[in-house]
Amino acid sequence: MLKINKLHKSYPIGDSSLHVLKGIDLSVESGEMVAIMGSSGSGKSTLLNIIGMLDEADEGEYILDNVPIKNLTEKKAAIYRNKFLGFIFQSFNLINYKNAIENVALPLYYQGLKRKERLEKGLFHLEKVGLKDWAHHLPNELSGGQKQRVAIARALAANPKLLLADEPTGALDTKTSYEIMEFIQSLNDEGKTILMVTHEEDIANMCKRIVRLKDGVIMEDTFVEQVRASQYV
Amino acid sequence: MFDRDLWSEIFNSIKKNKLRTFLTGFSVAWGIFILVLLLGSVKGLQNGFAKEFNDDASNSIFIFASTTTKPYGGFDAGRRIILKNKDIEYIKGSFEGSFEYISGRFNKFLPIKHNKEKATFPIRAVHPDHQFIEKTIINKGRFLTQQDLDSRAKVVVLGKKVVEELFKEEEALGNTVEINGYIYTVVGVFSDEGNEREERNVYVPITTFQMIYGNTDQLAQILLTYNPKFSLAEAINFSEVLEELFKRRLIIDPEDQGAIYLNNKAEQFSDVSNFTFILSIMSISIGVLILIAGIVGIGNILVFIIKERTKEIGIRKALGARPSQVIKLVILESVFITSIAGLGGMLFGSGLLALLGPLIDSPGFSNPSVDMLTIIIATIILVISGLLAGLIPAINAANVKPIVALRAD
Ligand SMILES: Nc1ncnc2c1ncn2[C@@H]1O[C@H](COP(=O)(O)OP(=O)(O)OP(=O)(O)O)[C@@H](O)[C@H]1O
Ligand SMILES: [Mg+2]
Repeated sequence: MLKINKLHKSYPIGDSSLHVLKGIDLSVESGEMVAIMGSSGSGKSTLLNIIGMLDEADEGEYILDNVPIKNLTEKKAAIYRNKFLGFIFQSFNLINYKNAIENVALPLYYQGLKRKERLEKGLFHLEKVGLKDWAHHLPNELSGGQKQRVAIARALAANPKLLLADEPTGALDTKTSYEIMEFIQSLNDEGKTILMVTHEEDIANMCKRIVRLKDGVIMEDTFVEQVRASQYV
Repeated sequence: MFDRDLWSEIFNSIKKNKLRTFLTGFSVAWGIFILVLLLGSVKGLQNGFAKEFNDDASNSIFIFASTTTKPYGGFDAGRRIILKNKDIEYIKGSFEGSFEYISGRFNKFLPIKHNKEKATFPIRAVHPDHQFIEKTIINKGRFLTQQDLDSRAKVVVLGKKVVEELFKEEEALGNTVEINGYIYTVVGVFSDEGNEREERNVYVPITTFQMIYGNTDQLAQILLTYNPKFSLAEAINFSEVLEELFKRRLIIDPEDQGAIYLNNKAEQFSDVSNFTFILSIMSISIGVLILIAGIVGIGNILVFIIKERTKEIGIRKALGARPSQVIKLVILESVFITSIAGLGGMLFGSGLLALLGPLIDSPGFSNPSVDMLTIIIATIILVISGLLAGLIPAINAANVKPIVALRAD
């Protein structure tokens, strides 16, 4: 699914620069569910953003679904993001003046689908996350867990191959976190490849593989026995 | 373009910034409103001038003769120059194609009688072409003809005011008037678009009057119109050539400014059209300056709105919005605000002119109005203004980096 070789990334800070990623090698197969862990500032989000084509590496190779990602124009990057990737963020990042169904349907708009088709698909995905009845509510009328489920529905709407989640449960309480994880696991069961950044060991253990970052390099990369979230719900 | 979501997004952002949208929209509307009023006023001036000039054909040249002011060719200064019938024949023979109509003229003030009514009117002895040079409008009967001149007929064409005074309720056409003991038949009644004073004139065949009053071949003036296809420059050149040749023909010093005088409408006309042209340019400049203020205002607001929406634009980009789509969103919003506001100002301005314009009719300023062309040009200016106003904010928006936007919490 994706292959990363000797990836480097620095951020300029004043006159000097901060070397954040110092040679990352990582490959993820289709159908995997990977947790990326590490202390704050270790470069987790940076790595995820590069994988998500929201940011570009300085050095190294990144191949996504057999397409080398290098020197993309903004337009190309936008098309790939739209086609291959679904994003889930810690702070949900819903558009606050659009209701749930409009938020979910937005990626489909950028795919060029007709309005009717968009709303049908949007409703289908909202139903999947159990929020069909909330379709016409604005984000500020929803709880944190509901918002994150709308965000997941939005990430799924364009039927991406790879879901990228940056601390998807970071802003949620434990119970809600498990509910969300249960749903993400079910997506993985259906075959979606999932990469998520998390700080929490219990959440990481609900994935199938844990990659630990430290000071910009991968310190540990292990496959784990997946803990099912359903047993806690 | 007619994409429901795009428009619903535009309306959303307008709705969220009602006051600011209104204020900038107002400045654009105001700019267009002033522009329309200014252009309408210039049009009013043009109409006013055109009306003044309509008295005679706008391509007319009048030739007057006077006395010489310089000795020349063996003659002393102070010699009286007299135009004659053969001068008209000379022009006819030498300037075929350069002139359109030509007529001689001299005036006499004589009492005219009909039954008991008697009054003095200016009587103009002219050729048939005079009708077209003076733009005389025949209401009844006919104007003078070549036949009248050849037979030295005693016929008159009376102005409307003359008829009113002499005939009252009676039918004038076919009736007679008496001038200095001679009986003339009324063959026509005329009015004049230029002014009512013209309608107090009486026309008689020039040959008739030349025979009765001194049996001469003299004229006071020669009036002609130049070929209407002439450009202003050609027309002015034609009258200069005429003047030069007449001076040579009548033995007048080429430098003598007093002996003969050519009054060319083309020269006056070119002055007036230059004047109104400069006025138009000035009012367009003022309108455009006001518009620019409006555009800068809208641009400012949009830049601000984009700042506020950085995060949203970042999200959109993460979801797959292409830069071109983001640009379209911003520019359309700008074009929409400018166009609606501008159209409002335009409708208000032209509505005001349509309502009040026809009521205004004073000398030199008449029926201020805007024509279709002005409206079309203003509309194009508006759309371009909208594009310009949206350009910088749109580029800002397109340059938003999704990570930066998403991090901005
Ligand atoms: N655009 C940027 N410019 C400068 N420095 C940056 C930028 N983005 C990230 N950094 C720095 O790079 C380092 C890694 O950041 P990153 O966000 O990847 O960390 P993280 O592992 O996700 O941390 P956290 O767990 O707190 O989210 C941090 O020190 C951060 O300050
Ligand atoms: Mg992070």
